[in-house]
Parts: sequence; structure tokens; C-alpha cells
Amino acid sequence: MVENTSKVKRNANDAKTNAEAERSISAKSKKIYPREVHGLFAALRTAGVASLLGFFYIVPWLQWDGRQALLFDLPERKFYIFNMVFWPQDFIYLTLLLIIAALGLFFITALAGRVWCGYACPQTVWTETFLWIERKIEGSRAQQMKLDKAPNSFRKIRIKFSKHFLWITFSIFTGVTFVGYFSPLRELAINFLTFEIAPSETFWIFFYALATYGNAGWLREQVCLYMCPYARFQSVMFDQDTMTVAFDETRGLPKGPRKKTVDKSDAGLGDCIDCTICVQVCPTGIDIRDGLQYQCIGCAACIDACDDVMDKMGYDRGLIRYTTEKILLGGHTEIMRPRMVVFGLVLLATIAGAFYSIVTRIPVGIDVIRDRNSLYRETNEGLIENVYIIKLLNMDKQDHTYTLTAEGIPDLILKMDVTDISVKSGEVVELPVRVQVDAYNLKQRSNEISFTLNTVGFEKLTATEEARFLGPAFR
Amino acid sequence: MDDIPLIQRVIAIIWPSFITGGIATVLFTVAFDPAEIFIDYDISRLGIYTICFFLFWILGAITATATVYFLKPGETINR
Ligand code: SF4
Ligand code: SF4
Repeated sequence: MVENTSKVKRNANDAKTNAEAERSISAKSKKIYPREVHGLFAALRTAGVASLLGFFYIVPWLQWDGRQALLFDLPERKFYIFNMVFWPQDFIYLTLLLIIAALGLFFITALAGRVWCGYACPQTVWTETFLWIERKIEGSRAQQMKLDKAPNSFRKIRIKFSKHFLWITFSIFTGVTFVGYFSPLRELAINFLTFEIAPSETFWIFFYALATYGNAGWLREQVCLYMCPYARFQSVMFDQDTMTVAFDETRGLPKGPRKKTVDKSDAGLGDCIDCTICVQVCPTGIDIRDGLQYQCIGCAACIDACDDVMDKMGYDRGLIRYTTEKILLGGHTEIMRPRMVVFGLVLLATIAGAFYSIVTRIPVGIDVIRDRNSLYRETNEGLIENVYIIKLLNMDKQDHTYTLTAEGIPDLILKMDVTDISVKSGEVVELPVRVQVDAYNLKQRSNEISFTLNTVGFEKLTATEEARFLGPAFR
Repeated sequence: MDDIPLIQRVIAIIWPSFITGGIATVLFTVAFDPAEIFIDYDISRLGIYTICFFLFWILGAITATATVYFLKPGETINR
């Protein structure tokens, strides 16, 4: 099927130039073998990859106060971040964090293009690592292509086997580490090595390993092309002042091969010698000389590659470089433009707000659950009674004693079996309580009441929660 | 639609539904403690989260499959 359509396509494309036709087909199927690059940006990327991977693999091993420093304990429903503990009730902070991350990404993108993609995106980070392993095992770009073309042989199978073996081992290691953010890694690692791991953890380890292996080993640039939403709306965030990787057409064209000894102006040529090295190094397989494309992840591999060529030819570096559209058109670029100022201010305000609310967070929580079995009942004294379960959360680092009050209906009586409500640090206590009122004080069937929790000795530690009090339909 | 590569179509089905499945699971488990709902079953919380996630994912994938299917331009149908 696919074969057929591409043949039809090819016929239909006859009118187009060869190069164009080849490109549209290659975009579909051809495997990309990025050539290795050296240079300033390659070094920066290696630094980025090494520090981010180091961070990812080391952090879950850190301990704090006798527990894992960074742990999203899903079974216990508590998130530990160094000395702070977050609860599902603190969901708002997660939302804030995501908003800050998104704003930060907008800001950086408007300023400097897709630097995130080129240096810090997990997809790039793991793909680079997998490429590195591949190069260690299979050799250079040319050797890899030759190997793939060669018929199966013992040598080919051995090489392929070693590569996949290393990839898979590394992926599983990644999977264990990933699950270690959610389930204490020290135990997990021991259980893993002794095959005593719980089924759902096993499942997630292999699921994550498979995702790593598939995304970094096989899909690679396809993830950027088809899975990444960010790549698709880059045009919304870019403007003429955004820094991007670009080919300087005025300087480079007309392109063409020439001997180093030939004077380019005599030959009527620009600086581009059409060696296509910039295309060979590109991890997404595009030709940057065609202009800005959404496939470009801004990795600057082509800059490093072309600078090398320029050095060899004795031309100035920077035929491909980080620049802005305005500069290429002969203008100059403002960094402090309105868009940046607005993005920057919103970003700062959100960070400040999040910081403030975390610092002033009240470490006590209350949750009211109505007893679902009965709407209400009448007591022997003729009062209307509702039953609730009050959940008290002590999110503080010390134990506390609390008092509970309720209000909202005149002459409301709050009854509970315990008198002293003490909750240990980091614990939840469930307290059954009964609220009784005189039916004459009920204006309607469903009435609003509120429970307030006060901490003995700490006036500021208080929390209030609303609830419904149900009674008979009256009058 | 035939010029959308197969891989892109597959990704369009399993990937957005993966994300929404994840979000739905987070929202659901923040709102309800699953251990209270499944109190009668002997299953760990992580196990419940996993099952929740897959149910949401499958649901999303079914929707996405239908979307991809109905995306086919009208003039190419029944020909
Ligand atoms: S690497 Fe530089 S000189 Fe070579 S083709 Fe690309 S732009 Fe032209
Ligand atoms: S065009 Fe250059 S910067 Fe863009 S992805 Fe390719 S190599 Fe990286």
C-alpha cells in the first residue's frame, strides 16, 4: 500500500525538481544518520546532556532526614521535596509550577528560539546518549551506513546485538531510576536485583524502559516532528527578533564547489561550497539553507560543521550562525522589546506569587466527608442530626493538638467522641462527628455549615471547610 | 490523508491519549483516594493508579482512533 502510493507520488512529482521529490520521500522513510560534530555548540550540548543526565540519575539517591530527598510517594500520597512535604491538597502548587515552566519556556523561546530543544529537552538528551553509544559500537556515519547496507553476516549481527544490548540495559537502568522517583529507590534497586519487585512497579520500569528505547533509539527526530506540541507552535512565539540558527544567504549564495585556490569572486560564487556537511550533521535531516523550518530543533550542529568548513577554506566563520531575521535583513535586534518585557514581568510575578504562597502555606488541612448512608436522622430529643467524617491533616513538622468548631445554623450542637484531638506530624486522623440542630432553625432542606480547626497554642494555624447539612423539607 | 505518514497517524492516536490519560489519572486520584473506592479489593494504590491510567488511556485512544478515521476527506470515500 505504502509502496504504491509513494510510486504514484513519484510520478505526480515528475514535474518537481529531483531534489524536491527526493526530500519528500526521504521525509517519510529514510533513516537519518547524523554525522558527528565537534565545536563550541557540540561541547555546550555535551555539557547540557551530561549535567541533566547526572542530575536525573543521582538525585533519587540523595537522602534527607532519613528519607529520600526527592520522592513523589504515590502510595502514601505525599510528595517530599527536601525539607518540604506536599499533599494532594497542595495540588495548586503543582499547577503553579507547570504554569511557571510554560511561561519560562515562552520567554526563552521568544528570546533565543528553540534552545530548549537543542540542549535540554529529554528527547535530545537521551537521543544524544543513544547516538553516542551507537557511534562507539558501529563507528562513524559512513561506517554505519555501510553496515546497514551490507548483507547479514556474523559481524553485522554481533555489532547490532551489542548495540541493542547496551541500549536496552541503559533503558532499563533509566526505567528503574524513573520509578525510583515514586517509590524509594534504595529498596527498589535491591528488590530489582533480587527479583522481588511488586508487579505494578515492574510494569512501570519496563514501560519507561521501552519508551526510552523506542524514543531515543528508533523514533528520534520523529518525536520532534510528530509528537512535540511545542515544535508546532514555534511560529506563534517567534518574531523577527528571535534568535535562530540561520544560513546567511547574502553571503553564501550562489553556492557551488570550488578549489581552495580559486578566488570565489572571480568564479562568481558565494561562501557556500555546497559540501552538504551541514545537512549530514543535522539530526532532523533538513537543509538549513532552505530557511527556517519547523523541523529545526536549533541544535546548532550545522553551525559547528559549517564553521569547520569555513576554517578549512580560509573564509570567515558564521555562514550559518545564531542570528535574527532582522539582522539578516540588515537591521538590528532589540532584546528589550514589549513582548519580552510582558513575558518577563508575568513570569516574575508568577514566580513571586508561588514562592509567597509556599512560604506562607498553612500546614494544617481539614476535609469533611458526609456520611453517605443516611441523609439525616432524628434523635430521641427530637433534633435533626447529620453525621460527618472529619479528616485532619497535620502537614507541619511537629505534633499538634487541635480544637474543632462548627457554625452556620443557630444553636448548632457539635458532638464527638473524643475530647482531645492530637495529630502527629505528617499524619491524618479521621474523626466521626455528629451535628445536631433544632428543626425550627432550618430554613431549607440543604443548609451550609462550616467546620473550623484551630491549633492549640498556634493562633495562625487554622483551616475552615464548608459542608452541607440536610434536613426535612420544612414549611 | 494518504500523505500523512503511517507513523504520524499511529502517534496521533496513542500519544495525545497518553497525555490526557495521565492528566485524567492525576485529577481523578487527587479528587478521590482510590484506596477508599477499592477498599474491598486487595490491590495496592500504585496498582489502582496503573489500572486507572490504562483505562483512561484506552478510552482516549478509542476517541483518537475515531477522529483519525473520520478525518479522511469526503471525496476519497467509497471510491
Ligand atoms: S556546511 Fe557550510 S559550506 Fe558546506 S554546504 Fe553547508 S552551508 Fe555550505
Ligand atoms: S538545521 Fe541545524 S540547528 Fe536545525 S536541527 Fe538541523 S543541524 Fe540542528
